[in-house]
This record gives sequence, structure tokens and C-alpha cells, in this order.
Amino acid sequence: MKKNKTESLTAEKGLFTIALTLNGRPAEFRVKPNEFLLDALRAHGWKGTKKGCDTGDCGSCAVMFNGKPELACMIPAVTAHGSVVGTIEGVGTVDRPHPIQEAFVEAGGVQCGFCIPGMVISAKHLLENVPDPSEAEIKKALDGNLCRCTGYVKQIEAVKIASKKLRTRRASK
Amino acid sequence: MRPELLVRPSSLAHLWKTLPSLPRDRRYLAGGTDLMIAASHGHAGDCWVDISGLKELRSFRETPSSLFIGSGLTISALAEMPAVKKWLPALALAAPHYASPSLRNMATIGGNAANGSPCADGVCALCSEKASIVLLLKGVKRKLPLPAFFLGPKRTALRKDELILGFEVPKWRHVSAYEKLGPRSYFGISKVSVCVSAEISGGVVKETVISCASVAPVPLMARKAAEFLYGRRLDEGTISEAAALAESEASPITDTRSEAGYRKAMVRVLAARALAKIAAA
Ligand SMILES: Cc1cc2nc3c(=O)[nH]c(=O)nc-3n(C[C@H](O)[C@H](O)[C@H](O)COP(=O)(O)OP(=O)(O)OC[C@H]3O[C@@H](n4cnc5c(N)ncnc54)[C@H](O)[C@@H]3O)c2cc1C
Ligand code: FES
Ligand code: FES
Repeated sequence: MKKNKTESLTAEKGLFTIALTLNGRPAEFRVKPNEFLLDALRAHGWKGTKKGCDTGDCGSCAVMFNGKPELACMIPAVTAHGSVVGTIEGVGTVDRPHPIQEAFVEAGGVQCGFCIPGMVISAKHLLENVPDPSEAEIKKALDGNLCRCTGYVKQIEAVKIASKKLRTRRASK
Repeated sequence: MRPELLVRPSSLAHLWKTLPSLPRDRRYLAGGTDLMIAASHGHAGDCWVDISGLKELRSFRETPSSLFIGSGLTISALAEMPAVKKWLPALALAAPHYASPSLRNMATIGGNAANGSPCADGVCALCSEKASIVLLLKGVKRKLPLPAFFLGPKRTALRKDELILGFEVPKWRHVSAYEKLGPRSYFGISKVSVCVSAEISGGVVKETVISCASVAPVPLMARKAAEFLYGRRLDEGTISEAAALAESEASPITDTRSEAGYRKAMVRVLAARALAKIAAA
């Protein structure tokens, strides 16, 4: 990709090359001009981020984008060139889950699991900024994450448990 | 349909220089939250000009008598600013009703206006705070009262390639109330929104501005209701009379979100609620 004053990203053989920082590591994706970050992530094997609606309504595709939760289904992949992206794979793994993920399991807040990556991204951003949130603050932070299985009660409970876990972890450090 | 070409100018000067070389059917891309939806429903231009990186559109300035809000500021960035909380209570109150937290991190106030939708929450709030909109085409700036910017559904005063630079809002001592009726308490485009900003002095209304969303082809200014309140006390009688006037000014349609008759009736209910909140403030 050529880089001059006005960055004009033109496709070579129909594809753009974008460079970004993904979960702390440099990554390079070849993307179609009309591709979205969500599809690009999934096409490159990062399938933790889910596609629920593709229209900005459900929150299952939430990723950290330059430090804030944004919706990957609404970010043209080319505009992610030079950005810093965090997905659920960067939060924790099956072997080493993040305390927030543990809390979701303990609270019984996961049924089909489709909404969970987005929920965890939103919850993590909340707890990093408001370590001890009220129930109203939790509800507000998870407002854009729709779940068709659980009824939300246990997920709100999960964020409360996660807040405690993180407090204990901080205290023991 | 999404376009095959995306251009990302690094400054306004480069933007104006680059435009002539681009396909004629081009669109600005800010947060993308309206444009993406337009693209998935049909054609949304042959080329997108990504203005999200332009610093010139993200400025925020405060003078002794006014505030200037850059068009590229996101709803979440605005909602957190102390000056917005202090001087633009309507905008601060509208923010939590606006889509979801992650969407507010993307959606810009300029895109909210440029999209030309009568249901825009940011626009409705700014209309009640007496904002003007500042437009820029190459070196030429012009300023319009915000309500005059809207010509019809999805039709605005923007000329080809003209940019919204930002919004100028006078500082005036007012209290506001924002009442939005959507499909649920938060997150969803409004069926009806009513926003009231008012300056009350010695118990009487010195000035009030009432704007409504989703009940007319453009963001509606309920001028008769506002004029009626001038010099009066906000009591049960005047509130109900003003709310009835606001209802008479609305001309909603039936669409997928709600029905015309219901919307019209709800203008009265929401206007009365907003005025009651202001009376109690
Ligand atoms: C799920 C969902 C929920 C939503 N909920 C709400 C809601 O509750 N309330 C509400 O008001 N809106 C809502 N919206 C609509 C949308 O988020 C807002 O209108 C938003 O402010 C648009 O800003 P943007 O930066 O994303 O605009 P974009 O999509 O980037 O642009 C929108 C239009 O404006 C033009 N444009 C953008 N910036 C400029 C500029 N500076 N100068 C000239 N033209 C420009 C673009 O070319 C395009 O035509 C919702 C959208 C979605 C997808
Ligand atoms: S897939 Fe992005 S919000 Fe639903
Ligand atoms: S657990 Fe199934 S959608 Fe939330």
C-alpha cells in the first residue's frame, strides 16, 4: 500500500494490505475493499468475535478498537489500517481464562455462548474504568449486548463476581 | 453495496486537493454507523472519503459566550466533557438514550446531522439548545440555524462535497429535559422524542425551546408551544396547554417503528413530562 499525504488505499489485484496491532502483536491482513473488520478477523482465523446481526444491533462483534469497545461489523476493514485491536482471544484462553470469563462460567451466565465474547469485552472495559460498578452501571455498560438465551440476570451477577475477583487479585499483588 | 475505493486524507487541505480526482459519486465516512446501514440496503457511493482521522473536525472550543463542537466528535466523547455537562444539559441527557455504549464510541455528532434523519437524538438536543451548524466547502464557511439545515427526510442543505465543520452553541443558563420513547427504555431509534430547554427566572419562563424527533419530515421545532409559555409560570394548567399545542404542531407518519396517531398523542404526553421535570428542577 502506498502511503503519502493523502493516504489513498487502492487495492492491488482486488485486495488491500492492512497492518494493525492485534492482541498485542503486529498483524497483516489482505482484505477486500468492501470487507468489514469482523469478516476480516474471522477469515484470518480469529473466530472468537461473533456475527449476530451484521447491522450494529446486537453487540456480539464488539472488539477493543483503539482503546474503546466498538462494533467490528461496522468498521470497514481498510480503516483498521494502523489501528490497535483487541479481541476475546486476547482476553483469555480455555487453559488460562480471564477472571471475567471465570465469573461468567461460575454465575451460569453462559448458555449458547454466542453473545459472550461481546459481553466480556464490554464488561472488561467497564471494570477497567469503574472497578466497583453499581448494578445500574453494569446494566448501562452491557446495554448494547443482546442475549437471546439467559435473561441477563446471571450475566449482571457475573460482572459483580468478576469485580470481586479482580479486587482480590489486585489486593494480593 | 460498498465501494471499491477508500481515500483517507490527512488534513482538510489535502481533502480539498484530492476531491477533484475522485469518482463523482463519493461519500464522506465518519463513524460509519449510518453509512454501513445505507450500504447494506442499497448503493452508497463509488468511493468513500474517510474523514474520521481529520483533527480539524474534532476540535472543541469554549469562548465566554459560546461553545464550538467539532462535527467529528463522538457521542461518548461529548457526553464525558465537563463543558457539555455544564452548558449543554440537553445533549448530556440525550446521550445515554443514544444507541448503545459501543455505538456511541463510533457515532459522530456531524454524521447524526448529515444523515438528515428526523429521528436523530443528538440533533434534537442541539436544536433545543439553539445551536447553529457551521459548513465548509473549500475555503468557504457558512452558518445556519440548525433547524434550517433540514429540508426534508434525508434531505439537508449540504452542497456537493460540503462538510459539516461543527456546531456553535450559545451559552445560556438553561435547564433541559429529554424524553425519548423507544422500543425499550434504552437502545433503539425513537418512536418519539421531545426535548425542552428553558430559562426560568423569578418563577416565570424567560425563554424556552422545544424540539421533537420522529414526528415530522424534519426535526420539529414546537414554536407555538414555546411562544405560549413565554412569561408564564409552569403549573399544571400551562403545562397541559403547552403540551396540547406541541401535539398540534406534530405531523408524524406511520412507519415500521410506530403509528402516526400514537406518535402524535405521545408528543403531548412527553412534552408534559419534560415540562413537569423542568418545573421541578
Ligand atoms: C444499531 C444502531 C442504533 C442507532 N441508534 C441511534 C439512536 O438511538 N439515536 C440516533 O440519533 N441515532 C442512532 N443511530 C444512527 C447513527 O448512529 C447516528 O446517526 C450517528 O450519529 C451517525 O454518525 P456517523 O459518524 O456514524 O455517520 P456516518 O455513517 O459516517 O455518516 C452518515 C452520513 O453523514 C455524512 N457525513 C458524516 N460526517 C459528515 C460531515 N462532517 N460532513 C458532511 N457529511 C458527513 C456521510 O457521508 C453519510 O452520508 C443508530 C445506528 C445504529 C446502526
Ligand atoms: S454483529 Fe455487529 S452488532 Fe451484531
Ligand atoms: S448465551 Fe446465548 S445469546 Fe447469550
